[in-house]
Amino acid sequence: MHKKRPAQNLLIPLSEAVKVVQTGHILALGGNMLYRRPVAFVRELLRLPDPPKDLTLLCFTAGYESDLLVGAGCVSRTRTCYFGLEAFGFAPMFTQAATQGTLLITDESEASLAFGIRARLAGVGFMPSSAWIGTDMFKLRPDVKMITDPYTGEELTAFPALSCDVAVIHALIADRRGNARLNKNLGIDPELANIASQVIITAEEIVDSLSTDVHIPGAMVTAVAHAPRGAWPTSCYPHYPIGGGELLRYVEMCANGQFETYRQTLDEHA
Amino acid sequence: MESAAYTIDELIAVCIARQVNDGDMLAQGMATPLVAAGYILAQRTHAPNAYFASAVGQGVVQGWAALGIATAEDLWVGKAMTNTSFVSLVADMLPIIPVKEFFRPGQIDPAGNFNNIAIGTDLVHPRLRLPGVAGIPDVSVHSDQMCLYVPRHSRAIFVPKVDWLSGLGHHPARQHGSGPHYLISDLGEFDWANGRMRLTAYHCGATIERIQAKTGFELEIAPDVHETPPPTAEEVRLLREEIDPLGVRRLETLAGSARRDHLRHILIQEGVLDPGEMM
Repeated sequence: MHKKRPAQNLLIPLSEAVKVVQTGHILALGGNMLYRRPVAFVRELLRLPDPPKDLTLLCFTAGYESDLLVGAGCVSRTRTCYFGLEAFGFAPMFTQAATQGTLLITDESEASLAFGIRARLAGVGFMPSSAWIGTDMFKLRPDVKMITDPYTGEELTAFPALSCDVAVIHALIADRRGNARLNKNLGIDPELANIASQVIITAEEIVDSLSTDVHIPGAMVTAVAHAPRGAWPTSCYPHYPIGGGELLRYVEMCANGQFETYRQTLDEHA
Repeated sequence: MESAAYTIDELIAVCIARQVNDGDMLAQGMATPLVAAGYILAQRTHAPNAYFASAVGQGVVQGWAALGIATAEDLWVGKAMTNTSFVSLVADMLPIIPVKEFFRPGQIDPAGNFNNIAIGTDLVHPRLRLPGVAGIPDVSVHSDQMCLYVPRHSRAIFVPKVDWLSGLGHHPARQHGSGPHYLISDLGEFDWANGRMRLTAYHCGATIERIQAKTGFELEIAPDVHETPPPTAEEVRLLREEIDPLGVRRLETLAGSARRDHLRHILIQEGVLDPGEMM
């Protein structure tokens, strides 16, 4: 780690910000489920002549923004506890790739992600937890080991620390120094900003200076890009709701084997 | 009280509400509107002091708003008393605060172990990869207030042995808490007796024989098995007119084109889908 640059002005165009993501990176996408996801960033990434490949996608929950990257062939591994579109059903390209065996899936749960992040934040290799004991999660994750509580003798799960090369977080408002304000639907964004080597903020609105109610201090941030309606068709509460019609269009085109056609029309519909 | 004409989604929501005690801390998982409808119904009737901890907004909510899809945050963020990050909710609260939660299994065995990982034992080429386990292997191993719901009861879901165990039931490896104590499906209500799933009530129109035929293992039958008490007229009115006028809860009991048409209808009502739009 970290991060950086001497900086008064971190504002760069979105088309430059996407170049931070390199082939092989662990890429974390902020927001949660269908809420405040960095969709404009993903769309811009897919506009590159040669988008990065072999990404490990790290999300608390993965949705539409992540499914686009899987469909475009940018992702080789996923680390998340839920990959789906809530009321809109299965994430079509993830489900297809996962069922065909073309994607490496590192199964996470809420606890393995939360305690893995806590371990990284604490600067230690693992965090103990009572989660998973007795379940088949250890068969899916042979890398996760048990540890004996030195005080009680109880067998516990030792969740390994998580790392992240680039985190992309969509903000309601940010200033040129990277100070960013989110809404109250935080997901894991404040912690992601602390564990990621590089942090990119996209924001609905850019101002010269933001000094109160900041969720992510500029000290954590690598670059800021202006992206109005940058979460759509996921929501950006309270500015706009979920673009349900667009998500239906996506799901139905994927069901008809038309992901590539959908991808070609991403820009017109944005 | 007089009973009213009702639909199966309404009966399930009412049965969920009946499991809520006043003062409960209720956890609401991802994409579970039937559970949300039941919780709010309980809060609007016999459990005004219930609190919701929600996966949307990671907040604690005591107020309510009508259910929505595009506008779900109006409730879980707009009405939240407090919000935190998901890391904090999972690491600081769920392990030690007793919460009641309804999970929806992809498969379930007679002991109440359940699977939300994949259908098929070959993980590289499963028949179907499910969206993920969310908090199930975390909460199910220590909870003593775990409930389950199955909106479409079938032998594909009720199986002798789960392909993968992500939710811990009445299992010898359990160190804390207890297995699920209640399950509601679209056919009946169940509990666990000596660690085996047991039918306690059949819904109007569902016979014990039909429920057994749609279950992939032999069911225990409670000695006092009876017909599920119907919703009251006021419960049905609250669900239809106040808690969920768009019928979001019904998405969980529908499938295929009926579900798709209903989803489109909801999105049009919410103003995020142009009624003239294709498909």
